[in-house]
Amino acid sequence: MSGGAVWRASRAAVKRRKLQTFVIGLVVLCSTTTVLLALAVISAARAPFDQAFDAQRGAHVVAAFDPAKATAEQLAATAHRPGVEAADGPFPQAVVRMPVDWLGRPPGPLTLVGRTDLAGGPVDRPELLAGHWATGPGEVVINQPFKGYPDNALGKPLPGVPGLTVVGFASTMSESAGGWVTPDEARALHPGGLQMLYRFTDADSEQRLTAGLDAATEGLPKDALTSGQSYLKLKQAFSAGADAFLPIMTVFGTLGLLVAVLIVGNVVSGAVVSGYRHIGVLKSIGFTPRQVVVVYLTMVSVPAVIGTVLGTAAGWALAGPILKMAFSGIMTGTAVIEPAGWLPAATLLAVPLLVALAAFVPASRAHRLSATEAISAGSAPRAGRGLKVQRWLSGTRLPRAVSLGLGQPFARPARSALTMSAIVLGVVTVTVTTGLSSTLVRAVGPNGGTGSATYVHVQTGHFAGNKVAAPKLTPEQTEAMLHATPGAERVSTRGLAEANVAGFNQPVYIDFYGGDEATQKLHVVQGRGATGPGEAQVGPAFLDQHGLKLGDRITVDLEGRQQSLTIVGEELEGNVRAITTSDATRALFTQDRHVVEYYVRLAAGADADAYIKAVKDADPSLVADVATVDMTAPVVSIIAFSTVFTILLSIVAALGVFNTVLLNIRERRRDLGMLKSIGMTPRQVVAMTVTSVAWLGVLSGIIGIPAGILAHRLITENVRIMAFPESMIDVWGAPLLAGLACAGVAIAVLGALVPARSASRLTIAEVLRNE
Amino acid sequence: MSNDHDGTTRPDGAQAVVELTGVHKEFGDAKALDGIDLRIHAGEAVAVMGPSGCGKSTLLNMVAGLDRPTAGTVRVQGQDLGGLNETGLALFRRRSVGMIFQFFNLIDDLPALDNVALAAQLTGTTARQARRRALELLDELGVAHRKDVYPAALSGGERQRVAVARALMNRPALLLADEPTGALDSRSGEQVMDLLIDLNQIGQTLLIVTHDPDLATRCASRLVEMADGKVARERALEPRS
Ligand SMILES: Nc1ncnc2c1ncn2[C@@H]1O[C@H](COP(=O)(O)OP(=O)(O)O)[C@@H](O)[C@H]1O
Ligand SMILES: [Mg+2]
Repeated sequence: MSGGAVWRASRAAVKRRKLQTFVIGLVVLCSTTTVLLALAVISAARAPFDQAFDAQRGAHVVAAFDPAKATAEQLAATAHRPGVEAADGPFPQAVVRMPVDWLGRPPGPLTLVGRTDLAGGPVDRPELLAGHWATGPGEVVINQPFKGYPDNALGKPLPGVPGLTVVGFASTMSESAGGWVTPDEARALHPGGLQMLYRFTDADSEQRLTAGLDAATEGLPKDALTSGQSYLKLKQAFSAGADAFLPIMTVFGTLGLLVAVLIVGNVVSGAVVSGYRHIGVLKSIGFTPRQVVVVYLTMVSVPAVIGTVLGTAAGWALAGPILKMAFSGIMTGTAVIEPAGWLPAATLLAVPLLVALAAFVPASRAHRLSATEAISAGSAPRAGRGLKVQRWLSGTRLPRAVSLGLGQPFARPARSALTMSAIVLGVVTVTVTTGLSSTLVRAVGPNGGTGSATYVHVQTGHFAGNKVAAPKLTPEQTEAMLHATPGAERVSTRGLAEANVAGFNQPVYIDFYGGDEATQKLHVVQGRGATGPGEAQVGPAFLDQHGLKLGDRITVDLEGRQQSLTIVGEELEGNVRAITTSDATRALFTQDRHVVEYYVRLAAGADADAYIKAVKDADPSLVADVATVDMTAPVVSIIAFSTVFTILLSIVAALGVFNTVLLNIRERRRDLGMLKSIGMTPRQVVAMTVTSVAWLGVLSGIIGIPAGILAHRLITENVRIMAFPESMIDVWGAPLLAGLACAGVAIAVLGALVPARSASRLTIAEVLRNE
Repeated sequence: MSNDHDGTTRPDGAQAVVELTGVHKEFGDAKALDGIDLRIHAGEAVAVMGPSGCGKSTLLNMVAGLDRPTAGTVRVQGQDLGGLNETGLALFRRRSVGMIFQFFNLIDDLPALDNVALAAQLTGTTARQARRRALELLDELGVAHRKDVYPAALSGGERQRVAVARALMNRPALLLADEPTGALDSRSGEQVMDLLIDLNQIGQTLLIVTHDPDLATRCASRLVEMADGKVARERALEPRS
């Protein structure tokens, strides 16, 4: 028998099973998409940093030295110490102070380094984003922590720093400077330090970096080294946001993989089992056992390959935007956050392999079956399974259609178990997502939501970054004006400044809330709001990264004044580099209120448009608009992720049910024809068929809901950029649980309804014809 | 509920139990029935014979309400089946007809007793009542001792008797049989034939499709011969000995 015959038989098999072929394709498609998305996020968490860092030959340690203690020659010699792979410097390093906020960064210190070899040095090659490198006096290139740069800033003076003109924007993964000038320019700015950039042969851990730096600086005066910034800290900060999603992605990714494997296995093996009769016929006309297996593998491979290709394409298309969301707000530098190129290759190879494997087991059973065995095995499930249950059911007071349906799953226990596992996983997914959304809604509710009141959000022109006009009013005057403008009820302020914390190697942002609703703005989930002078509150990521806990004190340096602040509260979420405090604390440091934003609560019935117009008339440099509910990026992304996965997994689970019911009906169509011939009505047929899986749905709820609650707890307790208090984790009220209980049944019924209806319309005469 | 029609099942009833007028059935281009006119009276036993593929089963399916004609009308007990929707047809089958098939069509997962009881349980009869009546019928048909046996373990003849019991469960006005002995050895075939004769003698109207001349002559009072979807010949048979 030629290969042509095998191919023709496979093609005919696909044609005769259009619906099943379609289901296999669709299940494989959805599963591939799910798996690709999960892998994309998991693999993107850290790899982009490493890639960009390596591409720039990033500095493992950016060290600053006191020129009074160590000479340039001594420092240059450190480059040749053992363990140092490469080094560059020393470069003169000066700190200038920007008095105003600019391009979204608050006023504060800006470190300028005098370097000429930026593009081709042995260590740290920042990428030029716009303009050109600083080559002459008065030229400065600014380090831009995000991709993208403001065109209109090129060629303009650096605000508040006389004599410097911005000629370029560049980005360094090593965070080695706030900007670069020529060495001569740096020397003119009275450098307070010398910078050395090091790469070490062994840079895997914080301890090894310290050891490397110690070895390099051996022989220098003890306190010559003033700071050493490790790239591991940068990397940790980089992936902090994405790391937060890892628990979620791990749970969803695992669920997705499991569901995919289960359903693909079930669908494919079902296709083979229901094809036994066909196999018998093929064998009786002379197909060898091997050829039969090939026919079946080909039959499932065609839709599987198409499904994999389409699913990979869909996953690839979704992965970009989803990753963007996961990494939004992170200082990405030049790191390209995009799904790894190996992902599509992996799914394109692995998924068809998985399908082939799932098909191989039952197909090899077909291999062993004799022609007559196969013909009889295909017609109906073997009698003798679950017979006691059927017997018992037929004696109950239940409507007969229902009791027949209840008994059906026992005839094919393995298939029923696989189907149920898929529903269970679907229920777990729905439970987790519902729980997460409830938790997040509670989290956003008290402070993020604005309630029923209308708020107007007013920003200073500098902060909004889109105004050239100079402010007309001082912050005090602005606040007074906002109060005085008709319609205002409450006015609150947010100040923003950059400060240094003793022992931290990167500056922090510090928020000061003041005005009428300051207390509400200082919302915490543990401890208390930092309303008093000398108090601060931070997010969980801040505590994590710096090894701090509530009650600890930190020394903050703002505009040259040092104050010790006590951490009294933990916020729900927060930037790794942000401290929140009150205007009262700000007063300990400086007279400048640093106000960048105002929140105005309008009186009931006030005209927001008129208010905004009045504000703009009073000071055209202000930017005002109606405030929208402020859902933070993590909240939005978590909700988006879980929704996408829930939809995909529910579809796949429902398809699994669909397929099972389809197979059951196909195998039982003779029974079905007989039942109809003795007077089973179409409604009874639907009732019987739906019942046969609905109770699997009920059972799935019983198993899946507790599992989902557990998974939800695991996620909420491990998302380390948000600290959910118990009140937000325990969201399970009776109505919610009741709703979830319906999820399993809903998935089951959804999958069963279409085949059930087609079963009810089955032409009996045709089915009973000489079976 | 099956008692409302008892009047029409008596052999002396003048009204036709089955009345086919100009029945055509096409499957795509193929004509399975090509203008059938046929009346069957209460208490009659009619045998339909003809070569394979001439449309016998199709004819039976029309009468049972299992399929609809392309043209023409089918009336059973005065009711036009064309006027019924799917549910209406199901209820009609439940009440008015019982069917037996060449390959029995029993449910493998249920023992003999529950296979028979099923027909009544679909109408809402309680399990206990249905089982009681099923046992009576199995007893009458001589297979009561096999009530707990599953179809796979029954002999062909036993299976067909269980199938007959199921068909009689709701006291149908009309018993339809499609090649009832076709899958049986001759001894079992004889037993089933005797059973059908007995049923007819107590007034059960029968329509039997067969290509076994022996079955036709022994069981039926009238023979309808079909060819190419038409009634080729119709004749009365000698009264049974
Ligand atoms: N469901 C169907 N689809 C297509 N053709 C059918 C169908 N049922 C019957 N036929 C055709 O109609 C003709 C009559 O069939 P049937 O009534 O089963 O014949 P018989 O029972 O006399 O052997 C045959 O040619 C058969 O192939
Ligand atoms: Mg036939």
